Formats: sequence, structure tokens, C-alpha cells
Amino acid sequence: MLTALITGLAIGALYAAAALAYNVMYSTSKVLSVTTGHIFMVSGVVGAYLIGELKLPTVVGFFGAAAAGVVFGLITEFVAIRRVLARSDEHLWLLSTLALATIIQQGVGLWWGTEPKPFPRLIPQDFTAGIWDQKFWLPIATVAVLMVGLELFYRRTLFGKIFIAVSEDAFAARARGVATDRVRAISYAIAGLLGGIAGFAAGQLTYAYFALGLSLTLNGFIALAVGGLGSNMGAVVGGIVLGLLTSIATFYFGGAYQQTIAVGLLMTFLLVKPEGLFGDKRTRHV
Amino acid sequence: MFRREVVSRLLVAAGALSAAALLPSPAQAQETIKIGWLSSLTGALSSAAIAENQGVQFAIDEINKAGGINGKKLELLTRDTTGDPTKAVNLANQLIHSDKAVAIIGPVNSGESLATVPVVAKAGIPNIIIGTVDELTDPVKYPRAFRVISTNEQWIRSANAYATKTLKRSKVALIGDTTGYGVASTKKAAALLEEQGIKPVYSVVVDPNKTSLTEEMTKAREAGADVVMPWTAATGLLARILNARGDMQWNVPVVGHPAIMGTPIRALLNAPTYWENTFSVGYASTTYGPDKKLPPATQKLMDEIRPKLGGKIDFTFWWVAMGYDTVKVLEHAIKTAGSTDPAAIQAALEKTQNLKGVYSPSYSWGPKERNGFPDAGIAINRASTFNEGSFERAPQ
Amino acid sequence: MNSHQGRLAVLLVGLVALATLPFWAHDPYQVHLATLIGAYWILVAGLNLVVGYTGLLSIGHVGLLAIGSYAFAILVDHHGANPYVAMLAAGAIGGVCGFILGLPSLRLPGFYFAMATMAFSMIVSEFLLAQDSLTGGGAGIAVPGFNKPFDTPNGLFWLVMLIAAFVTWLTWNVSRLMWGRAMIALRDSDVAAAAVGVPVFSIKLIVYTFSGVTAAVAGALFGSLQSYVTPETFHFELGLFFFICIVIGGRGAIIGPLLGTIVLTALPEVVAPLAKLGQFFYGALLLLVVLLVPEGIGNLVKIVREKIRPRRLEKHVVAPDLARLAAAIGNRSAS
Repeated sequence: MLTALITGLAIGALYAAAALAYNVMYSTSKVLSVTTGHIFMVSGVVGAYLIGELKLPTVVGFFGAAAAGVVFGLITEFVAIRRVLARSDEHLWLLSTLALATIIQQGVGLWWGTEPKPFPRLIPQDFTAGIWDQKFWLPIATVAVLMVGLELFYRRTLFGKIFIAVSEDAFAARARGVATDRVRAISYAIAGLLGGIAGFAAGQLTYAYFALGLSLTLNGFIALAVGGLGSNMGAVVGGIVLGLLTSIATFYFGGAYQQTIAVGLLMTFLLVKPEGLFGDKRTRHV
Repeated sequence: MFRREVVSRLLVAAGALSAAALLPSPAQAQETIKIGWLSSLTGALSSAAIAENQGVQFAIDEINKAGGINGKKLELLTRDTTGDPTKAVNLANQLIHSDKAVAIIGPVNSGESLATVPVVAKAGIPNIIIGTVDELTDPVKYPRAFRVISTNEQWIRSANAYATKTLKRSKVALIGDTTGYGVASTKKAAALLEEQGIKPVYSVVVDPNKTSLTEEMTKAREAGADVVMPWTAATGLLARILNARGDMQWNVPVVGHPAIMGTPIRALLNAPTYWENTFSVGYASTTYGPDKKLPPATQKLMDEIRPKLGGKIDFTFWWVAMGYDTVKVLEHAIKTAGSTDPAAIQAALEKTQNLKGVYSPSYSWGPKERNGFPDAGIAINRASTFNEGSFERAPQ
Repeated sequence: MNSHQGRLAVLLVGLVALATLPFWAHDPYQVHLATLIGAYWILVAGLNLVVGYTGLLSIGHVGLLAIGSYAFAILVDHHGANPYVAMLAAGAIGGVCGFILGLPSLRLPGFYFAMATMAFSMIVSEFLLAQDSLTGGGAGIAVPGFNKPFDTPNGLFWLVMLIAAFVTWLTWNVSRLMWGRAMIALRDSDVAAAAVGVPVFSIKLIVYTFSGVTAAVAGALFGSLQSYVTPETFHFELGLFFFICIVIGGRGAIIGPLLGTIVLTALPEVVAPLAKLGQFFYGALLLLVVLLVPEGIGNLVKIVREKIRPRRLEKHVVAPDLARLAAAIGNRSAS
């Protein structure tokens, strides 16, 4: 049972990271990108490739994976978002991010192969460590650090404040001379960095597998919806709740209805508290 | 009104487009024997499909180099079904009606096969079955579908026999995945064990991408299991089962699905020793004998195909051997029948007894028997002994 | 011959061509493909009202397709029902499921709704797999065909065409009358629509339920065409595919999504020889179309027509009729 809890926490941390990435991208573009889950997949695969196959040192692998995440975030913004946003059509960014997600998944599948491949051991540790195994506490610790880092970034740095300004009122920010296009691109890069670091940390849990993306996109979204769009605290709480719930439910009832339970959680929240645990009630100017 | 004009013009355009798309292709002289090959080269089970593809291509090339069959060359029409049953049905229809294939090999995936076998049967085209799901062959419903691979039931029976009779275990833990194959196989395994009077002490199905199997293995241990039998083709899941067993330091034997001895597993294990005490359903054709030698037919194929595979054989070889055999079976059928007429091929295969192959020591079908692989062709292998695509026999 | 008659003639020619397709098609494979396109189109026509007109992001309709197929198969196989009755019953079940799904979900904003529909299709998958005594589980279920006169492949093609024509006519009528405008108003700005008195939620729910009915009917026909379905047949990508057909074809029209369905269904068959690269190119093509022709292919034709033969704008000179005005004023002042 304890292992179920710890596994739930670890996978919940991964979902929380996805929700955080969603938040960052949403804040400056009002777009929820289908490619969110794929960031983690890309960084995991790149990390496994650099350390496992090219046998480069762990640090190089880490920076490589993070860089891959950043690049993918920038590509997402440039290819799928920039042109599409100008048309302000709800459908189109869903479609363009979806197309990009398909391309990246198939591309990685063609290069890396369709079987899960091992993610290397990052810190020398005996495998009999049970619940103290790094594959559990690496993601948990990393996401905690990321969340704190994100909060510090938003509150303490000038750039973070510019971000908040753009997310609250893009027109006003632009009127004040903020290059909203560039800010948006950088926010996608930051989301890519988030995903890159978290995907690398969780690699030992998920293995380097090309088809991870879609499942993380959905589950990260459920975490986001539960926690509340726009709230980072909500993202983390939502992720942990989802992770623990599915893990404990699987422990007691077996895996046959796993998706149903996760979705049941989503629907319950959407019906009872659609703005999530920590989200603001969404008002719209009319 | 302008819009209506556009609408009607577009309707014409749509009609014209469809007509253009459906235009008959130029007629071709039937110089070649067209063999359709439905393979999931991308998507699920792609590593098996890719390896089988090697065997199929090699056989086609070999036959063509020797002059073809009765002077006609073989033409292989490969179609990637991507693991999608609808696409598989479409492509099967395309191969049958558009490309005029005389026989179809595959698909690899059971889910796709379940959908295409009735379609191919309805068209009366011979179908070489390489999926293991038991329902794929039926002498009455699908008279021209002949299976080359062993059946799932043969796999499960062999594994059960090894676990209960050779290892003398009686408290079985079954672990399957939530795919169609996993759910069905776990049920079948439980049913076959009950025939022997054994009731599993623990049985569960899990998502193939579940990140840790420690809880399930702990529960199995607490239930008193003395053998764990996984029925899943998902390499990630199998590796995690072995990792959980090793991390818990629980020295229970694991006997199960052939994928557990596949090469991707080795890389996913936390320690190479985790592969010990693991036994997999395998084949006599890819098992080293006591003299450390492979059966001559296997060795011959291996040596011939090795250059095409890049000099190293890094994956389970029986896939390749089986792919090779499917084409050879068709060659035998067409030669015996003297033509590519479907009824003649069916008759030829029904009469086939003890056809020598690489993957199987002998294939035998009959008027009421569509599964050609003999029980004796299955061997239980020790999973950790991978060497150039083949394995050592498990201790008897 | 005026344009009305010309239009009618063109329509008639198109319909005759479709009706006689089994005779001039090259081989049964193309009839199979055409039947598949027809079955897909029945679902897409209903979904078009939801996505193309009302603007809802529904990507999980494959779940309703699955429900239709399985309901049809179970009713005919296990309960010996008449296939036509079973098809209608499957449609009704699909409508009920659409209603149940729509009731809580339709109030949600765009992406949330999309995820809810995606999650729905995944739940249907899980359910089909787990309830194997009813559905055959992973092994799937055989789907019977229809009775005379539609029991041959050509017969099935005609049945599908008949139903497709009927559904197309239905949706076309809905779209060009008052409801069509209401739906488009909803899509473009639901607040403004509500302010003008459009019953927002009712329309959404009714349209969504209708799309559930068409999806389930399409499922029955699709299953019959495939003759055997498994849960894997109804994978998530298929739900995306329907959604893509509409957006690629062009929203707010009937012809556009029809074109989109035809092109996108036929495309993998053309791309088939590419084997491994097929899916990759499909995604790349989708991205290209979204970036370059976001209005959709259907509208692309309109745009090209405009360029080739621009509509001549008549010049209306607006000038006051002074004489009449003076007369009117003069009359007044006189009395």
C-alpha cells in the first residue's frame, strides 16, 4: 500500500508538472496546447539517448534534455501558435497543436523505435531501495523545486512580472511597450524547460517511450482542471490528487477501469466546481 | 444565390474528384504472382512485424533469384496497417480487389486479424495467419485461412505444463495487461489451469504503461504465490514485473509470454541478474541443443540472412524464421496446386503433412485442421540466454 | 436554362453518378471505400452541425460510433432483432448517450469540453474491453449484415447512400433555415446570441443529441461494413479524424466537410504504399492545411473562383428622387 502511495505521488508529480506547463503556456497565449505531454516524452527520449546510447555524462544529458524541451516549446509557439492566434479561432490552435503533436510522436517513433527503451540510472543507487528509490523521489523533488522556482520567477524577477502583466491584460501590456509576441515565445520556452527538466527526472519511472505524450496531455489536463486553470498551487495539488487517486484505485480494484476513474474525477470537478480548487471564477468581458 | 451556385458546382467537383480517384488503373499483364503482406510496421507489435518482414522479404528474394515459381516471379505487396483494424480491413480489400493478390499473409496483430480474416475469407482468398488468437482459424467459417504460428492456447498450455509439471508449482499468480490480448489470455490461462485442478491465487490485469508493478507483486507474494505467469506482450510491463521481483528480492520463477525473453527487456532491467529464474515460451527451432548447436535449418537461414540484417542478429530470431516460412508455405502450396487458383491452394494445403520449415520442424494441416504448428515445436527457454536470436532450453 | 434549373441538373447528375457507382467503379474495393466514406459521412454530417455550425470542439464522437456498432451487433446477434429495427434502436441509444454526455459537458468552455469528449471515448473503450460477457471483450464481436435487398456489398452501399442522402438533406435544411443562423450566431459569439434570445443551451443539447443519433446509425452501418469490430477499431485517433474532416473541409458549410471526409478517407489509401511514413505525412499535411488554408478546402474553391471570375459588383447610385420628395412635401404644406 505504501508503494502505491509513493508511486501515486511520483506520477502525480509528473501530472503536476504537465499542469504547470499548461499554465505557463496558457497565461500568455490563452491556448491549451495538445503538445504539452509530448515535451516530457521528447526530453525523456533525448536524455536516454545522450546518456544511455552516446554514453555522455549525466550533466550533459540533463542539459541536452532540458534544451530539447526548450526547443520543442519554441517550435510549438512558432509553428502552431503564432500564425493561428492571429485568427482567434478556437478550433485552429487545437488542430495545429494536434498536428504538431502527431508529427513529433511519429517522428520520434521512427527514429527512436516504438518499444520503450531504458532510461539510465542518474545517481548510483542500489535497486533494492524500495520506496526510497530515486525513480520516485526524483520527480517529486524536481517538481517541488520547479514550482518554487516558478513562483520566485513570477514574483521576484522583472521578467516574471512582465509575464503576469501580459497574462492579465495583453493589450495594456502592449500599450506599455511590452513585446507580447516575444514574451509569448519565451513563455513557451519556459514551459518547454519545465517539461524538459521534469521529463528527464521522471524518465526512470516512465522509460523512454515514444507514445507517452497523449496520455500525459490528458492527465495533465485533468490535473489542471481539478486544480484550477491559472493557479500553480492548484496545478500541483491537482496532479497529486489525480496521481494518488488512480494509484489507490488501481491498488484496490485492478487496472481495468483506470481511465474511467481518472475521468470520473474530472467530470465530478467540472460539474461541482468547474473553476477547480484554486482557480478564480472565470469571468468574461462581453 | 451565389452560395447555391457554389454548392452545386462543388457537388460536381466532388463527384468528379471521386470519379477521378476511382478511375480504373491501367490493366497489367499478370506476369507476377502477387502476394499481399499486411504488417503493422508502425504502431503496436512493430518490432515483431519488422523482424517478420525481414524473413518475408528474404524468402521472396530467394525464390525470385531461383527463378520464381513455375517461371513466374513473386511480387510482394507490403501494406503498413499501423495497428489499426479499420485500416487493415481497407488495405485487405485493396489487396484483394485492386491489386489482385492471390494470397495474403498476416496481419501480425490479433486485433487487426480478427477484423480482416472474415473479409479475406469472404473473398475466398487464401490467408496465411500469423496471429495467435485462437479464434482466427476455423475450417468451416474460414476454409482458406491456414495458420503458421502456434496458437495462443499452445503457448499457455506449454507454459502451464512447465510451471506445474516441471517446476512442480501449484500456487499461480497471473498478471495480464488491459489490452484485448491480455484480458483474454489471462482468462484462458486461468481456465486451463482449472482444468488441471489448480486455481490461481492471484490474478490481475494492469495498464501496460503502469510505472511500477511493486504493489501487484507484493500482493502476489502475500497470497502465497510460488510462480508468476505474465500474459502480456508489452515489454515495459514485463520488464517492470521482473524489476519488481528483483527489487523485492523475491526469488520466484516467472514463466510466461515469449516477449519476456526479447532483447528490449535486457536493457530495461535494473540488473542483469533479474533475468535469471525467468522462463519463456519459445521454439525448438531457436533453442540451442545440448551440443550448443541450433537445428541445421535455423543455422542455415541465420547464416544466409545475417548480412541483410547488418551482420548482427539482435532480436528474437523466430520472428524472422516464421516470416520466411510463410512465404515458403505459399510456395509449396502453389507448386503443389500447379496454379494460383484459391480452391487448388486450399486443397494443396489441406493435404499437407509434415512440411519441413525453419520456424517449425513440420507443418501439418488437414480438411478439418487449420492450425499447422505441432505441439512438439514449442520449447521452454531460459530468458537470460539470448544469443544471436536464440536461447537455451530451460532446465527440465 | 436559368441558374436554378442548371443547379438542379448538376445535382441530379451528381446523384445519378453516385447511385450507379457500383457499376462504373473499377473493383469491389472501391465500392467498399465508397461505402466507408458514406458511413463516415453520416456521422460527420451530424457532427458538422455540432462542430462546424455550433462551434463545439467535440473530438470524442468515436465513442458514439462504437456504441452504435456494438448496440447493433448485440441486438441482432444476441437478441435476434431485425437489422433495420436494430439500426434505429442503436440510433436511439446513441441519441440518449449523446444527451447524457451533453447535459453536464455542454456548459463547459471549449478545451474543457474537448477533453470531456475525449475522456468519454476512452471510457467507452475501457467499458467495451472490461464487459466481455456482453461485448466479447478484447476479441471483439461479429457484426451481421442487413436483410434483402441490402445484403450484398453493393446493397450495403446503396443503403448507406440512401441514409447519407437523407441525413444530408436533413442537415442542409436545418442549416439554411433559422436554426442554421442561430447555430452560427452561437459559434461566433454565444453571449451576443443569448442577448438576442437564442436559446443557447437548448440548441447545443438538441444538436448534440442529434449528432449522437447519426453517429450511432453510422456505427451500425460501419460495423456491418467491417463485418467484425473490436475495441481497438474505435481508437481515439478516429474521433480526431472526424473532427479534422470538418475543420479541414471548412466550417459553416455542408459541402466542405463532405469534401473533407472524402479526401481524408481516401488519402491513407493513396499513402498506403509509403508504409512506415504514412502517419507522419498525415500529421504534416494536417499542419500545412491548418496553417495555409485555415478556412478549409471547401472555401478554398470559393476563394479560387473569386480570383478567376470575380463577381461583378453593380454600382448603385444612391440619389434622392427630388421631384417625388417635393411633391410629397408640397402636398403636405398644401393641406
